[in-house]
Amino acid sequence: MDTSLINVPFLIDTFFVALSGVPVALLVTVVSLLIAVPIGFFLALTRINQIPVINTIAKIYVSFVRGTPIIIQIFVLYSFIPLMLNGIFKKYNIEYSVYDINPLWYAFIIFAFNTAAVLVEVFRSALSTVDKGQLEAAQSVGLTNAQAYRRIIIPQALVTALPNLCTATVNLIKATSLGYAISLYEITLKAKVAANVGYNYVEAYIDIFIVYLILCIVVEQLFKWWEKRLSRYKYANA
Amino acid sequence: MLEITNVHKSFGKNEILKGVDLTIEKGDVVVILGPSGSGKTTLLRCINFLERADQGTANFGDLKVDLKGASKKEVLDVRKKTAFVFQNYNLFNNKTALENVAEGLIIGRKMPKEEAYKISREALDKVGLSDKYDFYPVQLSGGQQQRVGIARAVALNPDIILFDEPTSALDPELVGEVLETMKEIAREGTTMLVVTHEMGFAKDVAKRVIFMDGGVVVEEGTPHDIFVTPKEERTKRFLRRVLPGQYDYEI
Ligand SMILES: Nc1ncnc2c1ncn2[C@@H]1O[C@H](COP(=O)(O)OP(=O)(O)OP(=O)(O)O)[C@@H](O)[C@H]1O
Ligand SMILES: [Mg+2]
Repeated sequence: MDTSLINVPFLIDTFFVALSGVPVALLVTVVSLLIAVPIGFFLALTRINQIPVINTIAKIYVSFVRGTPIIIQIFVLYSFIPLMLNGIFKKYNIEYSVYDINPLWYAFIIFAFNTAAVLVEVFRSALSTVDKGQLEAAQSVGLTNAQAYRRIIIPQALVTALPNLCTATVNLIKATSLGYAISLYEITLKAKVAANVGYNYVEAYIDIFIVYLILCIVVEQLFKWWEKRLSRYKYANA
Repeated sequence: MLEITNVHKSFGKNEILKGVDLTIEKGDVVVILGPSGSGKTTLLRCINFLERADQGTANFGDLKVDLKGASKKEVLDVRKKTAFVFQNYNLFNNKTALENVAEGLIIGRKMPKEEAYKISREALDKVGLSDKYDFYPVQLSGGQQQRVGIARAVALNPDIILFDEPTSALDPELVGEVLETMKEIAREGTTMLVVTHEMGFAKDVAKRVIFMDGGVVVEEGTPHDIFVTPKEERTKRFLRRVLPGQYDYEI
């Protein structure tokens, strides 16, 4: 009988199984961010400019997402969306079973929904650090508001936002591990399924742990490098 | 030429501008004096649409706009004819001195980059910053930053440059270099509307001086009219306060 505490060959094999879930985790992260960034930015603008109604909706949305565990958000959306779609499909006589929808689509929506709320506050605080005079100077030399934001304000706000954006991205990557709850074959679920066969859970969890750790460290380093590049103007020495 | 008529502006219940009229001929330097809170900044901001007036018109000769109801296009047109030098410089922090000057030309005026950079270098040379093209604002002193601000305005070759207390955020020892730069561009025939507390500049450089108080133009005339033979009591009182010793005190 094998008395060693952990099954090393299994540990190694399963590491690669877990690793094979990285593309899905990254895909969910990237797509969710691509959806969440513009929504978060737009809502941040409505918050800053105190646009009536949308401003209030944004506020409620943010506190709703902040005040509930993400796993509950997943359960709520995962059961609510099919219900809603079923109704729509029935109404328009669309022959498609909502239960055939790839869980990836749910993951995109759920994580974008969650991340956008985080980003509203990230962008709002970053934009508010840029002096109003920057916009006025841009306007005075003939830039439109859109040009002023694109060329002057966003580049400066981004430098402030990057550390928080990095945290949000890393949190999102980690949160994709909850994808197992909607049968999303990402890192966690793949390794767990492999472990089910011989009950090698400890090995699987160690693998999962290491894969997320590597992933998050790499992402953090990328953000650090990006921040350094973007903030050159702040620390340039004469 | 710029003719401003009947500018009104309130913030909430506070009426800050109560019908201001102003005419500036091409090539003139006009200085606006007045106590704090008299509406000088607000007037300049209304001309450049950084603030929407409640009433009033601006006539640039070939362009006449309603300061209240101007369309987006008209606002952009007015901004092509005007440039603004800010009290706090407001240089674009993420751009070098050269990029700061070129931004309005390349993006606002859609000028080819080559040409824009050529004009921008000339403008920076003019304000004595030939060796600072690639410096970011954080690397420049206040005086240097304000001179970049002036170069940014000059490069646009506007009909008129609006200056809002360009030296009042500066350390005293840096005021001189900025005033010198302003005198230099005045000598070149730039039309300038300058809000300042620098009485020396007003006396030496201004063609006309306008004294504002309480949201109206109280008195205007040549520097001699205002500084030597002021007619209005409010003007005299203001001058006594800002130039003590040169006017007799009344008990
Ligand atoms: N955005 C604003 N909202 C509310 N009140 C304002 C605003 N801008 C200016 N004011 C008020 O308008 C009045 C005139 O301000 P303004 O800045 O035009 O005066 P000023 O003549 O430039 O004074 P200073 O010499 O101190 O610069 C002040 O009482 C100021 O508090
Ligand atoms: Mg002022």
